[in-house]
Amino acid sequence: MKMMKSALFPQVAEVNISPLSDIDLDLVQLLSLAHDPKAGAVVLFSGEVRDNSIGKTVNYLDYEAHESMASKMIASIVEEAAKRWHLTKALAQHRTGKVMSGESAVVVITCSPHRKEAYAANRYIIDRIKHEVPIWKCEYFSDGTKEWGGNCSCQKITGDANKHVYEFEG
Amino acid sequence: MKIKVFAALKDYFDKDFLLEENLKTITDLKAHLAQQQPKALALLNLCRFAVDDEFVDLSHLIHENDEISVIPPSSGG
Repeated sequence: MKMMKSALFPQVAEVNISPLSDIDLDLVQLLSLAHDPKAGAVVLFSGEVRDNSIGKTVNYLDYEAHESMASKMIASIVEEAAKRWHLTKALAQHRTGKVMSGESAVVVITCSPHRKEAYAANRYIIDRIKHEVPIWKCEYFSDGTKEWGGNCSCQKITGDANKHVYEFEG
Repeated sequence: MKIKVFAALKDYFDKDFLLEENLKTITDLKAHLAQQQPKALALLNLCRFAVDDEFVDLSHLIHENDEISVIPPSSGG
C-alpha cells in the first residue's frame, strides 16, 4: 500500500532552481520549467511591486535577504507543501536587490492533477514566505525618502515572533 | 562571537561586528545591544535570533565562536 502511494505521488516535486535571484524573475521561463504533463492545474502567483504605499508614490523596492537562511527556508517550505498537497511540481523564487514598480518580486508556481490542491499549496507557500523567511523590503519613494516597510506585524496579535496569522488558515 | 544584523537594524548597528563581552544567553545579548543603542529597543524586542542559520530562543546559551544573526520581522513578498 505504501509503495503504491509513493508511486502515485513521487516525493520529489520541487523544481531545482535557486530560491533567491538578484536578476529579473523570468515568469515565462519558470512556468515552462514547472510544466508537467501529470498536472491538470498550474497556479502561478506573482507578487509585484505596487506603485504606491502609505499614500506615497513608490519608485522601487530594494530587497535584502539573510541569503543562506532564506534559501534553505524557501526550499523547505516548497518541499513541505509539495508533500502535503501531493504536487507534481512546485517552485518559488524571491528577488533580492532593486525591483522597480510593476516588476515581480516573488513567484510561486504549484502544479497538481486538480486545481484545489494547486491553489491551496500556492497560498500556503506565499504566506509562509512572507511571514517567516528573513527577507526585507526597503521602499524608495518618488519624493526621495525611503522606509523599511510592511513588516509582518503578527506579533502584535499573537504575542510571539514565531506565531503568525496566515491567510491560508482564514 | 560574531553578530550580523539586517534591514532596519543597520540604521543602529554595523551590519556585522565582533563582540568580546561575556554574554551567556541571547537574552543577555539583546540587553547588551539595547544598552548600546537604546533607540533600537522596540525593534530588538520584535526580532528573532539565529545561531549558525538556525532560529534559537532567548534562553539559548551562547558559545564563543557563534555567529548570531539578529532577524527583524520579515517583510518579503
